[in-house]
Order: sequence, then C-alpha cells, then structure tokens
Amino acid sequence: MQLPPFEYHRPASLDEALATLDRIGNDAAVLGGGTDLLINLKLRLERPAALLSVRELPELAGVSVDAAGTLRIGAGERLTDLATHPLILARHPGLAQAIRAVGSQHVRNMATLGGNLCLPTRCWYTNQSENWRGSQIPCWKTEGQVCHVIKTAPNCRAIHSADSVPALITLDARVLLRSSRGERELRLADFYRDDGIENNALLPGELITAVLIPPGRARSVFVKAAARTGLDYGYATLAGALTGSNRAPKSLLLVAGSVGTVPLLLHKPAQIILAQGLTEASIEAAADAAREDLGEVTNLFTPPGYKKRLVRGLVRRVLNDLRRQKLPDAD
Amino acid sequence: MAKKGDFAVVGHDQPRLDGAHKLTGRSLFTDDVVLPGMLHAKVVRSPHAHARILHIDISAALALPGVKAVVTHADAPNLYVGIEQPLFRHEIVNYIGDEVAAVAALDEATAAAAAALIKVDYEPLPALYSIEEALEPDALLIHAKARGNIAWQLAQDLGDVEQGFATSARVRTDHYTTNASHNCYAEFHVAIADWSLPDKLSMYTPTQTAILFQKSLASALRLSDGQVRIMNLNTGGGFTGRTSVRPHHFIAAVLSRKTGRPVKLRATADEEFIACRAGGEVKYTFRTGVSETGRIKAFEADITFDTGAYVESQMIVLTLTSSYIHSLYKIEAARYLGRLVHTNNIPYYFHHGGGLAQMAFGLGQHMDALARELGMDPIDFHLLNGVTKGHTSMTGTFFGSCGLAECITKTAKQAGWKRKYGKLPPLKGIGIGVGAMASGAKGVFKHDTSAAFIKIVDDGSMSLFVGLPDMGQSSHTAMAMIAAEVLGARPTDITVISGDTDIVPLDVGALIQRGTFNTGNAVKAAALDARKQLEVLAAARLGVKPAQLVFRDRQVYPKGQPDKAIPLKKIVYDTLHSREGRFVMGRGFYNSPKESGTMAYSFGAQIAEVSIDPDTGFVTVERIVASHDVGRAINPRIVEGQIDGQVFSGMSQVLYEQTLLENGQVMNPSRLDYRLPRSYEMPEVEHIIVESIDPFGPFGAKEVGEGPIVCTLPAVANAVANALGEPVNEMPITPWKILQILGRRAKTGA
Ligand SMILES: Cc1cc2nc3c(=O)[nH]c(=O)nc-3n(C[C@H](O)[C@H](O)[C@H](O)COP(=O)(O)OP(=O)(O)OC[C@H]3O[C@@H](n4cnc5c(N)ncnc54)[C@H](O)[C@@H]3O)c2cc1C
Repeated sequence: MQLPPFEYHRPASLDEALATLDRIGNDAAVLGGGTDLLINLKLRLERPAALLSVRELPELAGVSVDAAGTLRIGAGERLTDLATHPLILARHPGLAQAIRAVGSQHVRNMATLGGNLCLPTRCWYTNQSENWRGSQIPCWKTEGQVCHVIKTAPNCRAIHSADSVPALITLDARVLLRSSRGERELRLADFYRDDGIENNALLPGELITAVLIPPGRARSVFVKAAARTGLDYGYATLAGALTGSNRAPKSLLLVAGSVGTVPLLLHKPAQIILAQGLTEASIEAAADAAREDLGEVTNLFTPPGYKKRLVRGLVRRVLNDLRRQKLPDAD
Repeated sequence: MAKKGDFAVVGHDQPRLDGAHKLTGRSLFTDDVVLPGMLHAKVVRSPHAHARILHIDISAALALPGVKAVVTHADAPNLYVGIEQPLFRHEIVNYIGDEVAAVAALDEATAAAAAALIKVDYEPLPALYSIEEALEPDALLIHAKARGNIAWQLAQDLGDVEQGFATSARVRTDHYTTNASHNCYAEFHVAIADWSLPDKLSMYTPTQTAILFQKSLASALRLSDGQVRIMNLNTGGGFTGRTSVRPHHFIAAVLSRKTGRPVKLRATADEEFIACRAGGEVKYTFRTGVSETGRIKAFEADITFDTGAYVESQMIVLTLTSSYIHSLYKIEAARYLGRLVHTNNIPYYFHHGGGLAQMAFGLGQHMDALARELGMDPIDFHLLNGVTKGHTSMTGTFFGSCGLAECITKTAKQAGWKRKYGKLPPLKGIGIGVGAMASGAKGVFKHDTSAAFIKIVDDGSMSLFVGLPDMGQSSHTAMAMIAAEVLGARPTDITVISGDTDIVPLDVGALIQRGTFNTGNAVKAAALDARKQLEVLAAARLGVKPAQLVFRDRQVYPKGQPDKAIPLKKIVYDTLHSREGRFVMGRGFYNSPKESGTMAYSFGAQIAEVSIDPDTGFVTVERIVASHDVGRAINPRIVEGQIDGQVFSGMSQVLYEQTLLENGQVMNPSRLDYRLPRSYEMPEVEHIIVESIDPFGPFGAKEVGEGPIVCTLPAVANAVANALGEPVNEMPITPWKILQILGRRAKTGA
C-alpha cells in the first residue's frame, strides 16, 4: 500500500501554522508523528490534500510546572521523552505507565502527545485497505448509513483506544486549543464525543498546543490488557487516580479505555470506594459494580461478555495497585 | 556409536554461515530483485464470497497511461492452478479474493490504479461459510463435481477395528475444533517472472521446492521442465506453505508473456491473509479403546477440513493425518475417516506439518484425558503405548531408531513432573505433549532424490551445489558441515550454491523434513566422492592405504599419526597441478531405498508450565522443557534454535492465532490484528537433545523441522487444562473462553 500524493508544509511558528490551516481549510490535516495518520492515508481512510507538520513547532514543545503547580506538557512532545520524563514519573506514575503502553518503542519515538489525544477511533470494518472495504456495505465512517458493529446504532460505534487519555482524564487534565481566532481551554473529559466519527471537539483550523494537569498529589495507576506486550491496542485499559488515604479516600476517578467510543468514567466502583475506603472487601464490591457503568458494549475485537469481565478484573487490579502505591512526592 | 569427539565439525556449534549477511540486511530476497524493464502487477479480486460475473470492463484500465497489459480468463482459458481452480474466473467467483483479472504497469501505483478501474458487474449468490452449512443435505453445490460439497475423502481401516473396540475395557470419545490460521511468513508471497522469450520462463520466487514449482509451471504452461528456471534466493519462512505454485506465480508468468517484459507481483499485507491462507477450520472426533492396563486396542479419527473454495494439493493432509497415530503409538487397529469440504471461504493451505500440528492439539488432549480417566499418569500412558526401536507399524514403517521413551523420561525428570503434576496451586498447570515426525518420504514422485555436487579449487576452498532451499532453518550451514566433516575442511571454507534450477542438481526440496536426511546423505556421498579423488595422491605421499587416511582440520594424515599431516589444500593443489591435472569434483545423490513411505522418524516430548491470570484470562507459558530425538544433532545450536522457533509457533497457535472470518471475509488481515505474540511472550525453553543415531541418516541425523511443534501444541493445551481443571477443546484458547469458564465456575461455586 502506498501513500497518495499530498502537499507537505512545515511551518516555523504556531502563527504560520494556523494561517496555513486557515488558508488550506478542510483539505489540510495536522501531522504529529504520523504513526496513525500516514497509515490511514495508505488505507485511503482520509484524503487530505495537504499535511501540516506540527511536531517541531516551538510553541508545542516543553514540559514545565508553573508557579501555581500546574504541569504543562506541549502537544508536540514525543511519547518516548514523556514516558521517561522525571516530572511525569515523579508526579503521575499512572500517566507514565499509560504513555509507555502506546505501541512500541519505534512508534513512541515518532508519536506525539497531541496525536495520541486526537487518535481516531478504530474498527475492523473500516481500518482496512480500500479493496477490503470494497467487499462490505459502507458504514457511517465510509459514507454509508449503518454500523456493522451495532446494527441499530444511529452513529459510528468504533472504539476509542488512545492510551494516554484515560490516565489524563483521571488527573482532571485540560487541553489548550488554538486557532487563528484565539485560544480556548477544555476539560479533556469534555473534549470527546460519543460518536466514532466526530470524536472530539476540535473545530476547523484548530489544534492542540498543550495539556495542563492541575496541581495536587494523587496516587495513579494505568493497566492495559493487550494480547501481546507492546505493538498492540488494548482489549481494555483502566486508569485510576486517588487522593486521600486508603481508609479515607477523598477523590477517586476510574476511567476505562478501549471498550467504547469514548473513554468511560466508572462511577459506581468509585462511589463504593469513597464510601467504604480501600479494603479487600470494598475492592471486590467495586469490581463487581463496574459492569453497571458500561452500558451497551460492542463485540468489536472481543466478545462483549469478555469486555465486561475484563473491566471487572482491571478494576480489581487498579484498586489493588493504588492501595499499595505510595503517595508521589510533593511538587 | 561415534562420539562427538570423533568428529571435528559435526556435533559442534556452528554459527550460520550467512549470519552476518542476515543480520546486516545483505541477504537478498526476491523482492530485492529489479530486472531491466520490469513491470509491476496487481490482481483484481472478487469482493463477493459467491457471485456470478455479469460483465468485465477493462477498457478504462487499458487506457490509463503506464498500463502495459490486462489479463483475464480470455488470456488463459485452459490454465488451472491445481486441479480445479482456473487461473481467472469469468463465470462464478467462489470466495472473497478470487482472481478475476490482473494488470501490469510501469510501476505498482499505476497497476493498483488500473486494477481499481476494472469494472466487474456481479450478481451475488447465496454462499456457504461453514462446514456445517456446506454439509446440509440441501446445500448448494460449489463445484458440481464435488457432491455434497465433499471435495475429497479418505476412509481407511487397518486391522479389525470393531473387534478392537468391542474388546476394549474402556472407550473414550472427544471432539475438537481448530480455527483458521496463517503462517505469517517473514517474507510475503512474491514472484518475478521473465517469459519475454517464448522458450524460456525464468522466475524468482521464494519456495520450499524449486523442482515442484518447475514441474507444475512447465506442465501447466506447456513447456518442458528445462524451459522453466526457478531461482529462489533466500526464502523467508516456509511452514509447509510454500510447497506448490499458487495463482500469483502463473499471473506473473502470463503477464510477462503478454508484455514481453519481466513482471513482479507481490502480495500486499492484506492479500497475504486473504489469498494465501494457511489452515481452515478443522473438526476432529477421536475415539480410542484401551485395555484395563491402558494399552490402546483401537483408534478412530474422524476429521473434517474446511478446504475453502478450491482444492489444490490439500488431499495430502488426509494422508498425513491418517498415518500420524502409527508413527507415535503401537496401534493394532485403526480407522480413519477424513474429508475436505468446500465452502466459500478462502482456500485451505498448509500450516506447519501439513495439518499435523493442529491435529496434535486435539489428539494430545484426547490421550491425556484418556489417561486421566484410567487413573494413569499420562507419562506412563505414553511410555506404555509409544513406539520403540525395531517396531514395524501397520503402515509398514520400520523404526530403525527411536528415542521416544528417552525423551519422555528425561523431560519428565528435568521438569520435575512427579513433584508437580496434580500438586500445583489453582490456575497453575503442567502438561505433556509427545510427538513424532517423518524425515522424508516417498510419495511426491517415484523417487525421493536429493543430489549434490562439490567442487574444490586449488586454494582449498569449495563450492557445494545443492537444490535444498534455506528458508531460515540453516540447512545450508548443516550441508556445509556435513561436507566439511567428510573432507576435513571447515564449514567456512565452503560456499553453498543453491536456488537456481539451471545450475544446481535435483532436490525434491525442503518438505516432509527431508533436508538433513536426504540432502545430507547426498552431500555426504558427494563429499566422499571428492575425497576419494584426493585420497589417491595423499595415500601415495603418505605411503598408506586410502582407508587409513584421516581428513580433519584442513589436514590429511595417516590414522593415529597427525604429526605426518599434509595440509589439505596442498593435496588439492598438487592433484590439479599434476600430469593428470585433475580438478576435484564430487557427485552424489540419495534416494530412499524403500518403495514408499519414510526411512526414519524423529521423536520428542515437551512439558509446559502455564499460569492463568484470573483478572484477564491471559495464559502465560512460563517454562517449556523440550526434548527432541534428532538422531544426531549436526549443529546443536541450530537444533536448539529450531526447537525455540517451533515452541514459539506452537504456543502461539494454541493461545493466540486465528484468522477471523465473517461471511467469508478475513476480519484481521494484518500483523496488528492477527495477534501473533512477540518475543516477550516467549517462555523459557530448556533443551534436551536426544541422539538415537539413526542407521540410515547422515552421521545418524534425522530431522528437527516440524518434530518439536507437534509436541508443543498438546503440551501447552494440556497444561491449560491442568490449570483450569477442565479442557478447552477449541483452538485458539482465547482469554474470553477462559474467563467464561472461570465466571461459570464462580457462579456455581465449584
Ligand atoms: C503498530 C501500532 C500500534 C499502535 N498502538 C497504539 C496503542 O497501543 N495505543 C495508542 O494509544 N495508540 C497506538 N497506536 C496509534 C498511534 O501510534 C498513537 O496513538 C500515537 O500517539 C499517535 O501520535 P502521532 O503523533 O503519531 O499522531 P498522528 O498520526 O500524526 O496524528 C493522529 C491524529 O491526530 C491529529 N493530530 C496530531 N497532532 C495534533 C495536534 N497537535 N492538534 C490537533 N490534532 C493533531 C492528526 O491530524 C491525526 O488526526 C499504534 C500505532 C501503530 C502503528
């Protein structure tokens, strides 16, 4: 499979990038590391006339903490660098685990954080060659009117599987978005939409410049159940972040990835732990309650019954890991 | 019995001769070849599992600049791949991927664009997607000739089977299923054909057997064998999957003839899975009757293969799976019922051992379950029933060497079987798998011949010409070692020349694990022939009889008198630079003296230890103790490498691999979604090499080509059953099957 022809732009500054985006309009695609976008071009899933490389923009670089203790991670940072970044390792071990779980070393050497946040949903009816798709009735993503995964679905149910996202949501991260019209900030949890095609809130001409993680000391964990070690999307992932003590937890966020069209916040298990503290018994109860939050689970990549059982197992594992983890150092 | 110390080369670890080339990317593969004027081809494939072709319009494709030819059925109306698959379909397509047309253009992108411009109108027809559907009494017929959609069958009774079961103290029946899978070759399917002149077709392509490719292409294309030249450079993996010509070979040839230019056709990542499948779904029923003491009295296997849309040479799997039981156990009565069933799935092709590896998944579990039912340790069961040296099977095989019992006992001891079996904590398991494998067999032709030449130049360096391909198994290094041992050379003195039917002598190829045994014997004969020519001068110089000469470490000396040694290269030099002027060339060939069947079998036993993660259902293979009776390990390092490779693939087939099909469509046609594990998933492997020194093999060697894998599958499956407390009868054993079982268990409180 070969890449289709495209124009290539490498702007030197953010302003130039935004101006170029405005000029080319919808025919332009933002290129991070290209580890996903270039494959989708080969599969002819996207047909942009121009690619605009942003990974070397100075405005998208850097990992820093401001006076208030907010951690800012530039969207153009490479995942390899972030997975081993001392600030991230020290403050948010769960995020470091999540970033390390993306693809393989080779993929992370190219991939950017911005690209991971904007990773399109996946489905095995669409992430195939054009010839392959030619033997299927088109679905929502390929200009049809049906979802092969859930026949009755009114929109695309492809799976969201960007590994850094559940971990960032548990840390209450926000994204900084820039366009020529200005800057805006969104909670990452509000950035995603329950639609496999229009999966995020990015507007035309807009790109992610940075991710902001508010100050605060939380224990955090990320686990990924994938068939093989590395080079694989998860059958399911789960991120958790906890403040307070085992006996008296103050806050707990649990977010499951790779099971639905958006990252799923698991309310029920968190409520149980917040009410009962982290004990062997409460962890079991929380794990049992997880499936109540899952809603309709698809049979994409694994049978739906498995995803439910798996999330239960991952809740148990994440809570046990959180229970054992020491509180990260103060900022 | 000769000891390792008796040999200077054989039995010593020898790094692959092409190791540095492979590691540094210098080894050439077919796709590296670029010929002057070469065109690139693409195939137009059916998007329907079953449909009628109403119309094919190639005009737009032909009009595209850069397109040099389009071929359809009209260009090759009488050309068949195998027995019933026309090269291109023009009336009915029978699976998603069926070839309808092909394009040759100046570059691949143009060929792909042109292929997309070929407009084919179809009328979809009802289709059959499973063995069950195909065997319904009123099912549609995919091929009129194959009544009941049964493409081929084999029914065979040896001994009095009814009597055997009737007199059995206990009879057990089990059912198993193995799902469709793929070989995942490192090298994709590719062919470059140059048939620009009508009387010579030259083709570069990876193969396990150039001679079969040559003969099939010649007979189908109405050429003489000598008019077809097959060049296989390195071959990136075989796994029984490159044993006969496939459509892409013919398509490249036909396009080359039509354009008068060389044509390259290579599979894309998804074509690799769609048009080049390995195994289809197989359903097995095994029934075994045993005496009170556990001796097998009667055995019955009933096996149904989803052979997909066409039959090429798949009938062989019936023969192979029918005789397997006789190579492993002493059997007095056996029945085999096997059938290939047509469906509208992609055609079946071979994967590891021509169906034997997959069969071993069920067979090994069946025998384990039977032993447990008898209250017998499976080890005792295998030892009681296993074949032994000197045994002659009902199928006529004489076992001149057999290390099965030694493999079993050594493996059990090292693995700590007695300490662990039945005593492990929940979700930890241990299991044993035993197996046997033929080293070569007659059946392809009346002969099973391998031949070899060796030439020695006057600096002492040598070239060894063999037709045996090296597809990763280091066969060329082994051949050089055998020649070096005989001639007193070092393996690195020898260049192995292979992969060109115009140059190298005949070899049936790297199939049925015949390389070391047959080609090894041929190389040994050729080296002896060359040595005999050198002995004349050496014996005269040293004043001894030729029989007293020792050729070793680049020296020639009288037995027991290494101080009198003359350098080998001096003998070579003086033999040429003499009145006679003799250039030393050795020739040899080997053909099994038997009428049919196999001269030798290898044996093995493996014990696997696994653990199950109750949160995810994942199985981790923690340790494998693998013993293998190779006859003699020509190159122990490579024997271990071969065992590792097969342990990997075996556990991967049991736990990971599946070609997922939905309405005839492959859902996971990529290395991302076809979940082949990585080196991280590789368990610790402890190797035990057993040397039974076969009386017929070169230096006593047999095979290590497929023997280990038939042990791995049952070992891992039995270990999982042991950990779970119940067997999983379907392969692969996925995490969802495991969590389902654990979930059910939790509910019933068991
Ligand atoms: C073999 C393989 C395995 C993989 N496994 C995983 C995995 O386990 N987990 C996982 O999460 N991912 C995985 N991926 C997907 C991908 O590599 C990662 O998600 C990666 O982080 C994407 O980053 P990138 O910079 O390469 O994105 P790109 O491919 O460059 O872009 C991806 C998308 O993001 C958009 N984009 C990029 N940067 C910005 C920005 N700053 N602002 C707005 N939009 C932007 C692009 O337009 C595009 O739509 C895998 C990929 C491969 C090839």
